[in-house]
Amino acid sequence: MSNQAKAVHNPIRINPETCVRCNLCDWICPGDLIYKEEDNRETLPVIKYPDECWYCGLCQSICPTNAITIIFPEQMVRNKTDVVSLLGKVVE
Amino acid sequence: MKENWTTLDTDLLVVGGGVAGSMAAIPALEAGLKVTICEKGKVLDHCGSIGCGVDHYLTVMDTGPEWDTPEFLIKHVPELTDGIVDMAVASRVIREMPRIFRKIESFGVDFKDPKIGTYYRLRSFGLPGTYHINFDGTDFKKHIGERVRKGKATVLMRTMVVQLLTEDNRAYGALAFNFRTGEWFAIRAKAVVLAAGDVNRISRNASGLAFDSWHLPYNTGDAQAMGYHSGAALANMESVEATLTPKGFSCQGLNALVSLGAYFVNKSGERFMFKYDKKGENARRAVIADAAINEYLLGNGPIYLDCRHLPEAMLDHMEATLQVDRYTLPAYYEQKGVKFREELVEISVSELSIRRSGVYFRGSGLAVDTNGETSVEALFAAGDCATVSGGISGAAVLGHIAGEGVVQRVRATSGALPEIDIKAAEMVRAQSAGYLDRRDGMTWKQLEDETRQTVTDYVGVRRSEKGLKLALDTLQALAKREAHLKADDLHGVMRIHESRNIRLNAELMATASLARKETRTGSSHLRLDYPQTDDRNWRKFVIVERGKDGPAVRTLSTDRPLADAFARNAATV
Repeated sequence: MSNQAKAVHNPIRINPETCVRCNLCDWICPGDLIYKEEDNRETLPVIKYPDECWYCGLCQSICPTNAITIIFPEQMVRNKTDVVSLLGKVVE
Repeated sequence: MKENWTTLDTDLLVVGGGVAGSMAAIPALEAGLKVTICEKGKVLDHCGSIGCGVDHYLTVMDTGPEWDTPEFLIKHVPELTDGIVDMAVASRVIREMPRIFRKIESFGVDFKDPKIGTYYRLRSFGLPGTYHINFDGTDFKKHIGERVRKGKATVLMRTMVVQLLTEDNRAYGALAFNFRTGEWFAIRAKAVVLAAGDVNRISRNASGLAFDSWHLPYNTGDAQAMGYHSGAALANMESVEATLTPKGFSCQGLNALVSLGAYFVNKSGERFMFKYDKKGENARRAVIADAAINEYLLGNGPIYLDCRHLPEAMLDHMEATLQVDRYTLPAYYEQKGVKFREELVEISVSELSIRRSGVYFRGSGLAVDTNGETSVEALFAAGDCATVSGGISGAAVLGHIAGEGVVQRVRATSGALPEIDIKAAEMVRAQSAGYLDRRDGMTWKQLEDETRQTVTDYVGVRRSEKGLKLALDTLQALAKREAHLKADDLHGVMRIHESRNIRLNAELMATASLARKETRTGSSHLRLDYPQTDDRNWRKFVIVERGKDGPAVRTLSTDRPLADAFARNAATV
């Protein structure tokens, strides 16, 4: 129930061994989540706002070395929410 | 302007570089106009709702049979929209469909199925023909983006437009900022096209994650909010849209599922859709969502997706296209450990959004005329922020219509544009700087969470006068607290602007919902205190616009086009 109380889940895992520090994931992210220092082949991309991810996978799809894996959090893969709780309160 | 503003003069300013905005830019570029696009994303080829790809495209093609003509589809629009539709604009959009479809093909988009060598056309969502082309549209947006780039448009990326510039009910530009660099832009334009999409992050969903939304969560009603502040009229804001999604992941894909023959069953294994519509799973999206909502409320949940009866070839096709619509869906099923080909998949009702209420051609947003122009002169709108919306093709066609409308408007306009009021512009920028300076205050997440909870509880799918008034009180009280918003960085300032737009859209939705004293299109607008559809009194648009003390409402018969309500037409009508 208390989804927000949990630690922020990082959906975008980058393998530092295979990442070529190319900036493409930063450029393509539609949500401005991924920050990669320009013109620096030493630094890895940083997932600065992980809780704002759409889980679209554009970063994964464009990564030239398949260094990105999208990991879904527990509340997405094993969801326990009562759907009726999303359907409004009856106020008459 | 002061030296720390970047000033630009352009013919057309486009707000939003998705399908609608890009398609509006194209005819303007072809006519030799100077075009500037502001876009919150970074790569034009992947911006907007279908930056990841799309697997279907709705169009009439005029290939011969009667059902494939614009006139046949136009004839069915009133029943598809339950009578609430601007027939003048919808008819123009449908008539233009074949032309724009062929133009997009000429950009290099391949709509054909390589296996059959022709178009794979399917029937879904209550449409009276097989109008949906099922195709691999992974690169759809890329081809459109390329066309815009070739036309040499100026594209300002990671740039959010926060205020329109208007004078005497005429738009002449906008103020914007780059949320990576902090650079501020004052842009003067002879015409502006708003194409910033639908309204998401406005109600809760199963995962409880605000950005886990069926449609792009970075579309936050920016166009609707800015249009409203500028005096533009909005319509159909009372209608909400939901879809069915795998429980826990709000993603696209319903169209492919139902058009390829998937079933929905309740906890008893009953294929329940036929209780609600004779077309079963081929009913309109609004009906499918309404049926699932009812089944859950009747205690017949959980609802499941059932694909087990489908032949292997169909399942293969389904698996391939699902990935086109949402790249991560196969990975999701894999991590969940579900094999949708062999097992039932638990389904949830998605979060609500403001878009087109689960029916084609009735958009919720900025009212437009047959040229895509809003009630504010030189201010155009297209795509999911406009009152005629029809998915990707609707965005493409109305976008192109708006672009052609801009060309006419610009050619008919003479004289210099107004000078930008520096003091007013500085106030807009100072407000954003204030968010960064503030140490204590409310975060955008708090503002949004409270908005979402209010909408979910009282403005969602079970509405009443008492609940809607309660919601309006809460939303208006929240507005007063917006003066205390704080941000840690420029990205946070951008999110604050989005959150404020979401809250305003929620207020417009609640206001319009309170006005429409009937129920229409099931859960799209369900009033517990007025449970019947009342055609005698409510074959009307509810129009919302800025009043003296907040949103004001009026109505217009659906026998008339929305443009009849535009003040700018008063002299010519």
